[in-house]
Amino acid sequence: MDGTDTGLYGSTDTLQRLDSPWDVVLWNDPVSLISLVVRVLRKLFGYDLAKAEKLTMQVHNEGKAIVWTGEKEKAAAYCVALHGYALAATIQPTA
Amino acid sequence: MSEPFRRVPEGIALDLPESLRTWLAEQAQLAGEDAVRMDDPVHRRILGPINPTVDHDDPLDELQRQFAIEGALAVLITTAHTEVLSEEEAEDWIRALQLILAATAARHALHTEDDLAALNQEATTAVTTLQAGISLLIEALDG
Repeated sequence: MDGTDTGLYGSTDTLQRLDSPWDVVLWNDPVSLISLVVRVLRKLFGYDLAKAEKLTMQVHNEGKAIVWTGEKEKAAAYCVALHGYALAATIQPTA
Repeated sequence: MSEPFRRVPEGIALDLPESLRTWLAEQAQLAGEDAVRMDDPVHRRILGPINPTVDHDDPLDELQRQFAIEGALAVLITTAHTEVLSEEEAEDWIRALQLILAATAARHALHTEDDLAALNQEATTAVTTLQAGISLLIEALDG
């Protein structure tokens, strides 16, 4: 589908892509404690214990989990914060 | 036996052997040095890409991350021999212990549970000491 030309700002397709959500992916590592990961998820994202534990176990059992989805800049900031606790995290465009 | 980390009105009191305090400060120093060496596995583990879909991360994100990491390690180094940590310093200790743990894992190429099980005695002691420290400090802070 062709987007509407908006001059210097490109087509509406481009604008759509800029606004598209991004995922914060948390990866498993063999040394970080489950209690630490749960604590960090609660502290950074404000998740309740049940949600933080569920995501942590998903990381542990499946190797990774999408722990947050939203605006790209915010996703990058969350990723930086996770790296501050030496947790392996990346961002990616939401599929 | 007294608790290594104990909540007191001023923050978190430390009751750690001097040898452990010195070892932690040395490990924090080493993690910081290794983290800035581009070809070091510690660099790849601690300062790996934020967004692997592009060639270079946003420089501001990289700078913020580097400040956060260096800051936490510096707090552990400067307070390694103190008696009581403030709440903020204790949070930085958790970050620093995690960073040292990640650096240790990177140096020994620990990627899986099997790698961890095959680790030599000295490295296993380092990993379990750091994990115990993180666990006990979390208990003292949040308990």
